[in-house]
Amino acid sequence: MSAALKTNAPPLVKLRDLHVTFKTRDRTVHAVNGVDLDLAAGEVLCILGESGSGKSVTLRALMKLLPKFAQIKGGIEVNGRDVNAMSNSQLADFRGGEVAMIFQEPMTALDPVFTVGRQIAETVQRHEGVSRATADARALELLELVQIPSAKRRLAAYPHELSGGLRQRAMIAVALACRPKLLLADEPTTALDATVQIQVLLLLRELQEKLDMGVIFVTHDLGVAGEIADKVAVMYAGRVVEEGPVSGLMAGPLHPYAQGLLGATVHPGMRGKRLTTIPGAPPMLDVAPTTCAFSPRCEYAEAACTAGVPALVEASPGRFARCVRVPKGV
Amino acid sequence: MMDALDPTPDRGGPAQPLLAVKGLVKHFPLKGGLLGRTQAVVRAVDDVEFDVVKGETLGIVGESGCGKSTTARLLMRLLEPNAGTMIFDGEAVGENVQAGGITLREYRRQVQMVFQDSYASLNPRLPIEETIAFAPRIHGLSADESVTRARELLAAVGLAPESFARRYPHELSGGQRQRINIARALALRPKLVILDEPVSALDKSVEAQVLNLLVDLKAEFGLTYVFISHDLNVVQYISDRVLVMYLGEVAEMGPVGAIYDRPAHPYTRALLDSRPSMDPAKRRTKPPLTGDPPNPVNPPSGCRFRTRCGHAEEVCAARKPLMADLGGGHIVSCHMATPGSGHSQAGSLAA
Ligand SMILES: Nc1ncnc2c1ncn2[C@@H]1O[C@H](COP(=O)(O)OP(=O)(O)O)[C@@H](O)[C@H]1O
Ligand SMILES: Nc1ncnc2c1ncn2[C@@H]1O[C@H](COP(=O)(O)OP(=O)(O)O)[C@@H](O)[C@H]1O
Ligand code: SF4
Ligand code: SF4
Ligand SMILES: [Mg+2]
Ligand SMILES: [Mg+2]
Repeated sequence: MSAALKTNAPPLVKLRDLHVTFKTRDRTVHAVNGVDLDLAAGEVLCILGESGSGKSVTLRALMKLLPKFAQIKGGIEVNGRDVNAMSNSQLADFRGGEVAMIFQEPMTALDPVFTVGRQIAETVQRHEGVSRATADARALELLELVQIPSAKRRLAAYPHELSGGLRQRAMIAVALACRPKLLLADEPTTALDATVQIQVLLLLRELQEKLDMGVIFVTHDLGVAGEIADKVAVMYAGRVVEEGPVSGLMAGPLHPYAQGLLGATVHPGMRGKRLTTIPGAPPMLDVAPTTCAFSPRCEYAEAACTAGVPALVEASPGRFARCVRVPKGV
Repeated sequence: MMDALDPTPDRGGPAQPLLAVKGLVKHFPLKGGLLGRTQAVVRAVDDVEFDVVKGETLGIVGESGCGKSTTARLLMRLLEPNAGTMIFDGEAVGENVQAGGITLREYRRQVQMVFQDSYASLNPRLPIEETIAFAPRIHGLSADESVTRARELLAAVGLAPESFARRYPHELSGGQRQRINIARALALRPKLVILDEPVSALDKSVEAQVLNLLVDLKAEFGLTYVFISHDLNVVQYISDRVLVMYLGEVAEMGPVGAIYDRPAHPYTRALLDSRPSMDPAKRRTKPPLTGDPPNPVNPPSGCRFRTRCGHAEEVCAARKPLMADLGGGHIVSCHMATPGSGHSQAGSLAA
């Protein structure tokens, strides 16, 4: 599919026809309805989409972090290993070792009753079985790596004693404790102020390059994707509707939903112009969509759009879209 | 006699500000210890002065904690200021009517507010048409008239009354609830609407719908807006003039073009340079500022921005900068803008 498969290197992440359904007594949500994704080592993929499109669920599936009652189908391979088949003890090594995750709210990942230094050292000791002194030294290195000022002093700080931006950095330090090959980031800068968001984004970009990590970064913000992504997958109603290099997507999206999203994103130079909007709202997902899920809102909808789920076609090398109007390239 | 709920006619003419705010101060005591004594003071809003011009949209930007919501609640008089005056179309707010004032009750009819959290500000047990009709009825409209007005407003905010009037807030999406909040804010035919992060919780496509709606309603009802947001692009899109706040103070204010094309305050420049570039070929390479905004409990002496400013000099710690006039209504609080301030680059920003 994407560049990763064309080279011989095995992809770091290989997601095939992922389906995730949540069934409770009250309701059923078909959150993810057939997602294929590839990520090469050292590559940054942004999953872009509005709330409820299945971004976080897709990300959590990669670490088997979904609740027990979630029905998961499809192939989930990370670093050549089948995540679904992992035992609990294998998962414990895998999470925080090969793969780590960061969140919008740092307290999701930090333990309030331990100092930042202890939490990092603990992670290192658990995964690598090194001595306490080695782990402590590594904790200091990591706080310096994420550019926390007065790192030595901050080792002894509890999470609540740090400002928002520093707490975000501390969470990143914990995630990087064992040099993961894959970092999963779920909107880690969404709640931050503009001047802090750009600091954290640039830090993540720098660390990704320095450590040559693969990163899957979930965001609803096209501007954030533009700063950090190599390629972008746009999700709608639990499917990828467009995928390709970030520059092409930002310069000219192919899928009508992606076009609508770009037109609706306020950016400089739009003053005085009427904003493009997408009428209506996304589907409920109580049943899995059997047509183009965007068709009720799409101004180009035609009979072919509701005949079935449009296939993801390669419109030009490396660029894919799931829309009957986008022809297969040569 | 005029209906109590007709829009009130304009008083002082277009040149008189709709709202003139001077010396506005709000400090929150932080209590603690065994005796609950005041331990410290949060200087949330500290000597803020600005006008809201009739018919304009005044944007207020700044990072979280800089005092935007406190300013909004002071403008609404949901909070009592510690000091300061507010003059609404020539009449002192909350002063007695004989002395030429406007009562709080009358002021609160003419000034309405929309909050970020669309859910918290709606009564979950009332169908939405009754939520919208509530205030007009309290202000003396009959039950029938109030409901008629509610239905008109539902239509005006793009929600078909026949299918939405009897729904409850939990049956609506965030965007629809925000439309209800806007309808409710317009029910008393206000002149001024204060919008505190009205689109911040919405998805982008819904944000665009609500922004278009706000533009339409402003024209249709002859409204004036104070639009508060942390999103610089949204503020640029919607505002005629922009006020940049930092730690409870006005850092810079001026026409939207001046603020975005010729920002004078180092903080404004940093804010603008923090925006993603929207062009992967021209990515940001260096963050304009380091660290988080400091705490308004113990703001730095002199210029409050000095702890993060790349141009800070001794004078910045010693003295608070004066507000310098750059012409065309563009003002800035920085020693570099005031000739003779003692800053080595003093006057470099002057008009
Ligand atoms: N634990 C869960 N139980 C039930 N439904 C869930 C759960 N997690 C997510 N969902 C549903 O799955 C859909 C996709 O969610 P999510 O992936 O979190 O969206 P987003 O794109 O905003 O990250 C939503 O409808 C959400 O309500
Ligand atoms: N009721 C209150 N009591 C104490 N502190 C408050 C109160 N309301 C706001 N503050 C403080 O005042 C400052 C400004 O807050 P706010 O006006 O909400 O900022 P903004 O809306 O710009 O994020 C913050 O430091 C906040 O914690
Ligand atoms: S498949 Fe049809 S309905 Fe779907 S996005 Fe393309 S044109 Fe629109
Ligand atoms: S007064 Fe001094 S510290 Fe403040 S913004 Fe101007 S140069 Fe920077
Ligand atoms: Mg999510
Ligand atoms: Mg606020």
